[in-house]
Amino acid sequence: MGEEYDVIIVGAGITGCGIARELARYDLKILVVDKEEDVCCGASKANNGMVHSGYEPKPGTLKGKLNVRGVELYPRWAEELGFKFVQTGSMVAAFSEEELPALEKFLERGKANGVPGIEIISGDEARKKEPNLSPEIIAVLWTPSAGYVEVQQVVLALAENAVANGVRFLLGAEVTDVLVEGGRVQGVVTTQGTFRSRYVINAAGVYADKVAEMAGAREFTIHPRRGTLIIFDKREGKHLSCFVGAVPGEYTKGGGPMTTPDGNPLWGPSAVEIPDKENTAVSAEEIRQVIEKDLRFIPNFPIDSVITYFAGNRPATYTEDFFIEASAKVRGFINVAGIQSPGVASAPAIAEMVVGIMKELEPLRERPDFNPYRPRFVPFRERTRAEQAALIAEDPRFGHVICRCEHVTEGEIVRAIHGPIPARNLDAVKRRTRAGMGRCQGGFCGPRVAAILARELGVPVTAITKKGPGSELFAGRIEDLRLKRGAAR
Amino acid sequence: MSIRSINVDVAVVGGGPAGLAAALAAKEAGAKKVLVLERDFELGGILQQCVHDGFGLLKFGERLPGPAYMQRYIDAVAQTDIQVMVDSMVLELTPERTLYVASPTEGLLEVQAKAVVLAMGCRERTRSQIWLPGTRPAGIYTAGTVQRYINMEGILPGRRVVILGSGDVGLIMARRLTLEGAEVEGVYEVMSQPGGLTRNIVQCLEDYNIPLYLSHTVVDIHGEKRLTGVTVARVGADRRPVPGTERFIPCDTLVLSVGLIPENELSREAGVELHPVTGGPVVDESMATNLPGVFAAGNVVAVFDLVDYVSATGETAGRAAARYAAGELKDGPALKVIPGTNVNFVLPQAVHPVRTTEPVTFYLRVKEAREPAKVVVRAAGRVIKQVPQMVVRPPEMVSFVLTPAEMRIAGSSDLVVSVE
Repeated sequence: MGEEYDVIIVGAGITGCGIARELARYDLKILVVDKEEDVCCGASKANNGMVHSGYEPKPGTLKGKLNVRGVELYPRWAEELGFKFVQTGSMVAAFSEEELPALEKFLERGKANGVPGIEIISGDEARKKEPNLSPEIIAVLWTPSAGYVEVQQVVLALAENAVANGVRFLLGAEVTDVLVEGGRVQGVVTTQGTFRSRYVINAAGVYADKVAEMAGAREFTIHPRRGTLIIFDKREGKHLSCFVGAVPGEYTKGGGPMTTPDGNPLWGPSAVEIPDKENTAVSAEEIRQVIEKDLRFIPNFPIDSVITYFAGNRPATYTEDFFIEASAKVRGFINVAGIQSPGVASAPAIAEMVVGIMKELEPLRERPDFNPYRPRFVPFRERTRAEQAALIAEDPRFGHVICRCEHVTEGEIVRAIHGPIPARNLDAVKRRTRAGMGRCQGGFCGPRVAAILARELGVPVTAITKKGPGSELFAGRIEDLRLKRGAAR
Repeated sequence: MSIRSINVDVAVVGGGPAGLAAALAAKEAGAKKVLVLERDFELGGILQQCVHDGFGLLKFGERLPGPAYMQRYIDAVAQTDIQVMVDSMVLELTPERTLYVASPTEGLLEVQAKAVVLAMGCRERTRSQIWLPGTRPAGIYTAGTVQRYINMEGILPGRRVVILGSGDVGLIMARRLTLEGAEVEGVYEVMSQPGGLTRNIVQCLEDYNIPLYLSHTVVDIHGEKRLTGVTVARVGADRRPVPGTERFIPCDTLVLSVGLIPENELSREAGVELHPVTGGPVVDESMATNLPGVFAAGNVVAVFDLVDYVSATGETAGRAAARYAAGELKDGPALKVIPGTNVNFVLPQAVHPVRTTEPVTFYLRVKEAREPAKVVVRAAGRVIKQVPQMVVRPPEMVSFVLTPAEMRIAGSSDLVVSVE
């Protein structure tokens, strides 16, 4: 039973979707599975979207190689896939003479990794670029090539372009076993059926070690490391135009304040070892740490403009490097694991490398009808008044503003629900449209988005969830509950 | 594509109690073209979801449910030629009083107004704004959102509820949730005094045996997909959790009633000066902001606790807007109205003696409760008026009136308002 594929990719984060899109160039039947009801729900969801320039990874590591190559490839991805890629550079700040040798160390490391334009500038020169920087910063490692993306927009663009080029996505399908016979992978068993394939690409994030174990190809272990991020109101989005961070520590670059392409200040992440893969709670201590640390760089920032905070778990391996290899034990099983920072920056290069691994395993034939372009649907709020008028004239639902904080219209929400990767829950709508990402955090639009979802999906509103089964928003319709209570008497 | 443009005398942003009162007053004061822009599907504002009674004691001498109070205004508006657009969202207001409106039926509309009344009301403070740690599951709602679900959508958000915050909205929802079949485990309040009106403590908590825990707060949230419980703890005088007092409460719903924030994004972007304490525009006796021709009324100016006051500010703003549109609003020097002892804020923040041919109503909130107390208004150290109060509490706004004669005594000195 089930269908036959050439390639099954486990995991629909930035890694899995990037690989899917790049492999879609070739004559392969591809399936992407993910246990969540939407793409971009793991580590890809909870990161700051920085495309690091590449000064931090040790030369000779996979991270070192793929980070810089990824940054090189990002402009093309952005142009073809229609997502915002803002290349405003990044800074590492030194507050004292004692920290200068560390800046020098990363300057050399950056050069060894091939980071273009990397240099050390004085605190004053840094403050010319960023006037709100702390007066106590004496020197800065400046890398102009660093950039910023809204990660969920990248993942959606990759996934949608993959779908347009024939890739199938099956969401809400958790892999429970990997079929292996005669030392060769045969397919996967999921909660939505069994699917056969000649290749299985393991891009399962914090669960990559578990999936590898199912295949008998576990050559690494994941130890999750939680990171907390804080997002502030767009009205404070002019304080900083590039990331400023501290000198990187042993296992983490340490985070710092930055501004997202959509204009929100974003602080963090923290780094805390977490044994439980699913524990993405935000602790009071981590909030305090992020604020205390990041306030040092821009001390005049009004932290009461906070909008939200969240955490995600980095899938770190014990070598702290990426683990991207065709398994020697199980033919056809390719591990793409340990993709923590600089995972987002490296994504195009990771996909390129996996395509290379596939090509070594068998010749790949290019599809002549591959279409690399996925045009960006410009949100209502970004259009000129004349463009908005035209949009509404075309479809009145674009004149009905549902999310008042982000000016998201009913037209966009309906479009998201019926898109190539359909949005089936509140968070999925939020991910695509920004409805609920504003200062009232869905207090106003929540009921309205739930009603639109129910209407468009043809289900009762009481079936609508926040992020998939188990996260139902409501206990029930009052009249139904009353009747039930009456019947029970 | 060219944008449709219309001209009006008075444009009112928001069709709730402040906005409709303003529109009617503007019409009555002679404004020809009055337009009300409302983003919801019907007029009425937040009162549409306030099915409990108690509205209109001062204004109508009756205790009406919210929608009934508003229906009087809605009916009155229907009797006039006031233009109403629902489902219409004001995207932007410029200092030159151009409004850009998105509407499914009218398209993208440019409205050029001679005068504008801002009446957008409030939004609710969120979980993140109080830095509540923990997971982010389904089941966490602000009280106003719960009110909408229950009273307008007929949906019960959950079955076992913890409420954080003893402001009025939270108290009202404690009762509503109980009446609709949910179990409210308790109301938790970080301050040592309740945040809402005394009558709501009695009629919503005591009457329903819902415990109120003062000096307590929620310190953790549990549940990955749907809320499974919260951890509460006692707080000390510094309002920080006392270690060792934590208690886990299984529940599937957390309702937050932790404050209202006047919704001034449009105002701020237009360049309206906002007051740091109220969060709303700085206004004078005519409810005029610093932008010529732009007035504000109701909860967008400051969070009021009686809708009767909201309607009154709407009437003042509407009347003044009509006069401004007709070129009849007099200009002149202004006296500042300064908060003195035990006054958190006082509205309006300025008066123009040249305009005060009518009595002016002032609204204030005290910092600390006192029983009894008196409002004392001074100018240049001299007492102009004293208004005795039986009791004053921060959650209960105090209002008093100064007559034109009393304001004349002030001369050109600023007024200082204290509560002693």
